[in-house]
Amino acid sequence: MRLSRRASLSRCSVVMVNDPNFRPWDDPNTKPLIDIQNVTKKFGDFTAIDDLSLKIYPKEFFAILGPSGCGKTTLMRMLGGFDAPTKGSILLEGQDLTGTSPAQRPVNMMFQSYALFPHLSVGENIAFGLKREKMPKADIKIRVQEMLELVQLSELEKRKPHQLSGGQRQRVALARALAKRPKLLLLDEPLGALDKKLREATQFELMGIQEQLGCTFVIVTHDQEEAMTVSSRIAVMDQGEIAQVAPPETIYEAPASRYVADFIGDVNIIEGRVSTTKENAVFLDWHENEVSLSALSDQSFTIGSTAWLSVRPEKIQIYKEPPQTNNAIAGKVLDIAYLGNVSTYHVELSNGQVIKAQETNAGRSANRGIDWEQSVWVGWSTDAGIVLSQ
Amino acid sequence: MKPSRLIIAIPYLWLALLFLAPFFIVIKMSLSDLAVSIPPYTPQLDLSGGWEAITAYWAALDLENYTWLADDPLYINSFKSSLIIASVSTLITLAVAYPIAYALACSPQRWRALLVMLVILPFWTSFLIRVYAWIGILKTEGLLNQLLLSVGMISDPLTILNTNTAVYIGIVYSYLPFMVLPIYATLEKMDWSLIEAAEDLGSSRLSAFWLVTFPLSLPGVIAGCFLVFIPAMGEFVIPDLLGGSDTLMIGKTLWVEFFSNRDWPVASAVAVVLLVLLIVPIVLFQRQQQKLSEAG
Amino acid sequence: MKLIGAITAFALAAGAVSFANADDDKVVNVYNWSDYIDEAVLADFEKETGIKVRYDVFDSNELLETKMLAGKSGYDVVVPTGTFLSRQIEAGVFQKLDFSKLPHAGNMWDDVKNVTAIYDPDNAYSVNYMWGTTGIGYNEEKIKEALGDDAPTDSLALFFDPKNIEKLSSCGVHMLDAPTEIIPAALKYLGEDPNTKDPEVIKKAEDVLLAIRPHVLKFHSSEYINALANGDICAAFGWSGDVLQARDRAAEADAGNTIVYKIPKEGALMWFDQMAIPADAPNPELGHKFIDYIMRAYVAAAASNYVNYANGNKAAQGLLDDGVINDPAIYPSTETMKNLYSVTAYPPKVNRVVTRMWTKVKTGQ
Repeated sequence: MRLSRRASLSRCSVVMVNDPNFRPWDDPNTKPLIDIQNVTKKFGDFTAIDDLSLKIYPKEFFAILGPSGCGKTTLMRMLGGFDAPTKGSILLEGQDLTGTSPAQRPVNMMFQSYALFPHLSVGENIAFGLKREKMPKADIKIRVQEMLELVQLSELEKRKPHQLSGGQRQRVALARALAKRPKLLLLDEPLGALDKKLREATQFELMGIQEQLGCTFVIVTHDQEEAMTVSSRIAVMDQGEIAQVAPPETIYEAPASRYVADFIGDVNIIEGRVSTTKENAVFLDWHENEVSLSALSDQSFTIGSTAWLSVRPEKIQIYKEPPQTNNAIAGKVLDIAYLGNVSTYHVELSNGQVIKAQETNAGRSANRGIDWEQSVWVGWSTDAGIVLSQ
Repeated sequence: MKPSRLIIAIPYLWLALLFLAPFFIVIKMSLSDLAVSIPPYTPQLDLSGGWEAITAYWAALDLENYTWLADDPLYINSFKSSLIIASVSTLITLAVAYPIAYALACSPQRWRALLVMLVILPFWTSFLIRVYAWIGILKTEGLLNQLLLSVGMISDPLTILNTNTAVYIGIVYSYLPFMVLPIYATLEKMDWSLIEAAEDLGSSRLSAFWLVTFPLSLPGVIAGCFLVFIPAMGEFVIPDLLGGSDTLMIGKTLWVEFFSNRDWPVASAVAVVLLVLLIVPIVLFQRQQQKLSEAG
Repeated sequence: MKLIGAITAFALAAGAVSFANADDDKVVNVYNWSDYIDEAVLADFEKETGIKVRYDVFDSNELLETKMLAGKSGYDVVVPTGTFLSRQIEAGVFQKLDFSKLPHAGNMWDDVKNVTAIYDPDNAYSVNYMWGTTGIGYNEEKIKEALGDDAPTDSLALFFDPKNIEKLSSCGVHMLDAPTEIIPAALKYLGEDPNTKDPEVIKKAEDVLLAIRPHVLKFHSSEYINALANGDICAAFGWSGDVLQARDRAAEADAGNTIVYKIPKEGALMWFDQMAIPADAPNPELGHKFIDYIMRAYVAAAASNYVNYANGNKAAQGLLDDGVINDPAIYPSTETMKNLYSVTAYPPKVNRVVTRMWTKVKTGQ
């Protein structure tokens, strides 16, 4: 990021979000910027948000992730003030926002469609919010220039939106939403309209801008990779409720439920019955005549209850001979998918379940001497998987 | 000639046949003199007379009728009065039509087709009958006066029929759909998240309307204004049926000149001047439409 | 509703041109004034001759003349008023009648023929359909209310004296939209020659008319029939038969409106509506047949009984209803007759002055 007026730009001091020590949610003394308290939103009979509580802290890059219809857009619209909660309240820096119009909130939104005013030039679009707050003309001019530099569009100030590319429009929308220096910026699927390459580049750029300004971003997305890349924490939503809120690596490595595990990345889930627990390891009986499988868990289980073992494909090794690992199961190769960097093996177990194992193609030849219909073993260590109670 | 050129030629052929040819006949007539004959003007072109007859014909044409128009304040006043009536009624129509178009665009999708049809519905009845119906509403013993008298809003019946007020009512009523539909078309295409964006950036509902909705609907507003103004300018039926004897409109003056006075040359001159005056807004309208289609 | 009729007729007439040729040995195309015939007369004609009548109507001479001067109107019989007829004959609009095809021509009344000869020398082009006067129609009750018992209802002063018409403006006054009838009346009121062609003299009528125009609700040639009958207006300067139609309608409605027609004592314009055949008529043969049929004594009588206008048919007089032949408003007494006048057409240059003056009277411009 080339930034000439770094100091004047930021409302808050510069801070590195991907600093591993940036964990305000673990500190009981930190006051949340946004405090969503038991919010319910109904549209007629349909409950879009169901008794949801959530705290978002200053300087976070917070992602709300979920499939379409999970209520994530509704949640964001309530933050922006476009919809009012049916029940519950939303607090910003301790102030109840109920009854505050979008115009009165120190919150700005970057719309999914960008919502650039087609009759106004790039500069006028960015100045729109500043004019509304009666900022002096000279100051507006300076601020617009700052914003244009921030998004690297200084040469396009006089253009109309229809003369811009998709990526340029996205930047104008971002600059416009940031121009008023909001305490909270909402981004509704901000990169959805861009192609994959541009999207990835822009993700890093967004992170850079957020780091520069040190302000709080809330991004709504259905793209798990995007959420993983940009955010400090992710809230995974399911039918109006939050399934889990955690930093990306926790969401991935220690999902709270099968739903979260399944939504983020690829996963093998094996159902079984808890046979024993030893320290934080849980043993599952999953099939007659097969050895128990083990994995770690923070949760406590009663012996004999149903539980699920979740293990990511890249953590499973494939063997031609019976291996010496804890969790080794015999199976038969059903399918091999060569993806270039990795190959995925589909292995059918004795109970008919298919397990996916992913092997990195470190050498140039992907041939491991494993073929279709071949009998193989799959195995993983106890700390590779996690046992889930739901 | 290539087939594609042929296709381009067709509209021009129509234009020449249906507009230019009659227009030249009217221009020619406007240069003639009134006469007692069939048709009632002179000179008549007699090609059998050869070249001499043609030169004599040309020599007999003059601009006398145009100087007649310029000398008599009646015609200038008619044009002025038409201009005022057409402009004022266009503005009133806009004021009435905009909320209707806005409500249409905001109405639930499943109702829209029906509501748009309701706007167009009056066209299923003859224009003349609809204007005539207003006589029954506006006359001294008409429905409107009876209603106002019965609710006690007035003590003496209002004289509305045969005044310019009635003409305004008639024009606004008759041309309302021509204003509603283009405005509706632009509003309907509009991305409503723009309004939310404006509010998000600190606009009130009202200022969001003036800063975003209205400028974006301007193409529809302009189209609607032209579609109302141009025909209203030459309107004859409405001022004749609803207006009074002193309602001065160029369409009516033209009619009187042609039918009552049987003065075809002067009537033609009035028609030519009217057309020339209307060419300005029509060309502006065309350019605006073209700009619009280029902007996509 | 007459205006609709007129406009519809206008539209129909435009279409008639193409229709007329389709079955021209069977259809006679007639263009007459609105509300001016007993439909039964047409039905009987069709039954007797097997000829279909396509019947269109107009409500102003000017409209008729415009169509005639445009040519190819597609009509076989038209009915202009004498003053207009003379100018149209000059323009070559009509063909001479073939009296060998009009066996009933002998029924016509010489007294009328003598007058119509000023428009149509030797009556070579036309035959009288109806004739009447232009005079005062008023609502007895409302006039009394506005002007008291001694209202000058038999004088042109009722309209042309601003003192009188001003008091009537609150209850409504209509005047014919016909400069060739109103201007002569105004001249008569001033004591001038109503038939003058001198623009200087005609100008004098302008002052009279401009003074009263603010008090005239509308200049229109047919709306006053309904307006009088419904009590919407209290006086109209109009045609005798139309006022009498209003009288009958008002009596039928029985809503307390008594309509009266009076020939002004200063004298009234006597006009003649003449049947004629356009030179370019698609079917002059049938046109002659139609005119001859109308000239039959019983047909002419039936027509007059229906429309309350006098006709130029001497033989028909014995067959007229008593209420028609004895009504001095329809068949004026010999004494009143002496007081009637007729006018001839204005030459083109004067006509322009007259029409311009009329526009000024109507619009104030």
